[in-house]
Amino acid sequence: MRSLRIGPFGITTHRRTFVVGLILLGVLLALLIFALVVGKANIGFLDSMRAAIGISVGSPGDFIVGQVRAPRALTTILVGGMLGVSGAILQSLTRNPLASPDFIGISAGAGTGAVLTMWLTSGTSLWVTAAGAAVGGLTAAFLMLVLSWRRGIVPLRLILTGIGIGFVAQAATQYTLTRMDVHEAGSALAWLVGSTTGSTWTHVKVAAAVLAVLLPVILWHARALRTMEMGDDTAKALGIHVNRSRAILAVCSVLLAAAATAVTGPIGFIALVAPALAVRITRGPGVTLIPAALLGAVLLLVADQASQLMPATLQFPVGIFTAVVGAPYLLWLVWRSSRGGQA
Amino acid sequence: MSRLETRKAVIGYGDQPIVRGVDVHVPDGRITAIVGPNGCGKSTLLRALVRLLTPMEGSVVLDGEDIHRIPTKNVAQMIGLLPQAPIAPAGITVKELVARGRTPHQKLLRPWSDSDETAVLSALHSTNLTPLQEAVVDELSGGQRQRAWIAMALAQDTPLMLLDEPTTYLDISHQYEVLDLLHRLNERQSRTIVMVVHDLDQAARYAHHVIAMRDGEVAAAGAPEDVFTEKIVSEVFDIDARVFPDPVTGTPIVVPSGGPGHTQ
Repeated sequence: MRSLRIGPFGITTHRRTFVVGLILLGVLLALLIFALVVGKANIGFLDSMRAAIGISVGSPGDFIVGQVRAPRALTTILVGGMLGVSGAILQSLTRNPLASPDFIGISAGAGTGAVLTMWLTSGTSLWVTAAGAAVGGLTAAFLMLVLSWRRGIVPLRLILTGIGIGFVAQAATQYTLTRMDVHEAGSALAWLVGSTTGSTWTHVKVAAAVLAVLLPVILWHARALRTMEMGDDTAKALGIHVNRSRAILAVCSVLLAAAATAVTGPIGFIALVAPALAVRITRGPGVTLIPAALLGAVLLLVADQASQLMPATLQFPVGIFTAVVGAPYLLWLVWRSSRGGQA
Repeated sequence: MSRLETRKAVIGYGDQPIVRGVDVHVPDGRITAIVGPNGCGKSTLLRALVRLLTPMEGSVVLDGEDIHRIPTKNVAQMIGLLPQAPIAPAGITVKELVARGRTPHQKLLRPWSDSDETAVLSALHSTNLTPLQEAVVDELSGGQRQRAWIAMALAQDTPLMLLDEPTTYLDISHQYEVLDLLHRLNERQSRTIVMVVHDLDQAARYAHHVIAMRDGEVAAAGAPEDVFTEKIVSEVFDIDARVFPDPVTGTPIVVPSGGPGHTQ
């Protein structure tokens, strides 16, 4: 058996998946240290580490590392992980690599919810904005289900409906922007680009709280998710509560994407690319949630660092960066599916 | 004796009944074949027997209890299924696929036990897949793939195994390979087997009990010799046929009496 037993509970996992997970974790740690230490201000390695864990090193390290770099890097990691897991669940449930929350209107719906909330509450609390994003994301997902339901769900119809809902949601967001006063609209617009700039410890807290609640629920249903990849009949025959598990997992996926959107604004392509890449690297059978999360975090952190290291005139938000890198992958997917491969 | 039976079960999709009030008994420790023309409801009946469909009226009963009142995991420890079109996750190996048959026996924090490993190895052995256990399922031949799925259902280690058209899409040698395997499993491990099959001669040769369906009703049920008579075959399948003893096994063999070159 190419599997491994770990610890007293004997959690079985695919051996290669485990090794890949460890490597990704190592890469992520290295990237985190890089993100804390490297920047325009030279704080020094030891001072950066100290400041990051809350030991005062005086000005300017306390502020630059403790209040800027550390929350930004952690927010990036958490959001990347959330997007990776969210996409992995959707792609597994629909058995389609095109299904990801940014592509099928869920992130757009969350964006509308968040912008509406910012407008109505004058953008005071990130927690409230996140709740608004969750409502928006769930509404988009619900509409998608209702509109694509014809005695059951066909994944392709669901995805196309989702793309349509995404456009409607974006229109609604644009309209809301025109109703806001100039200052609010300005900050909402900056948020809508998808950026980790200006992330605070509140952003870290929101992302970590959502992840801490949802991840155990998701891992609890991970086996159901894997089993459902063999078809509903097989899964039911193996004793899986197919409809219940699917509903719980879908809601978790939507909430993760919505919370990620609330924290950084819509960031594209991570949820699309990370899970597919994770499956490719682990070569495991079917969905791999933890590697997808780690890879999502690695990819977003790389993208964020790369966009920061650009010369000032070329710097752009990470959301644009992921789009520039992710779009070719999407084109490749479409190109491959039009040549008779799996879409 | 039968652990699994239906009581006046009306089964269908949406509000469209396909099976209209049938009483079916699955004899324990025997092979049961469900036969009938296309659209007669045989797959629908099988799906209800493994609680993939809920009867609109009547019930499916397992060990004297309505199957839908038994926790789904408990049912999964008693009835295994080979569905008509199972999906193998991309890149999964034979052993990984077979291991998934252990799902109903696993617990959250203690998933893989020695009895799981034993069941998987024994399922691989019974299906002659031990040498192929590291092979990727997508790359197997049709017959090997079907054996891998049967091995998965075997690893589930259920006294009852239900198979929906296990021989369809296979060439003749693979068909008999699968049927011989089912026969062995029944003989040696005394598993109760229910299969939907199209080929009447195969049903007659391998099954102890035949359920012939037509228009959603049971037209005849009993031993192959009692079901495959010229009268019943012509009623169920709308063909004129002669029935002879199989020269190899002595079981009934159905020969249509129409076609080119025949003389009345």
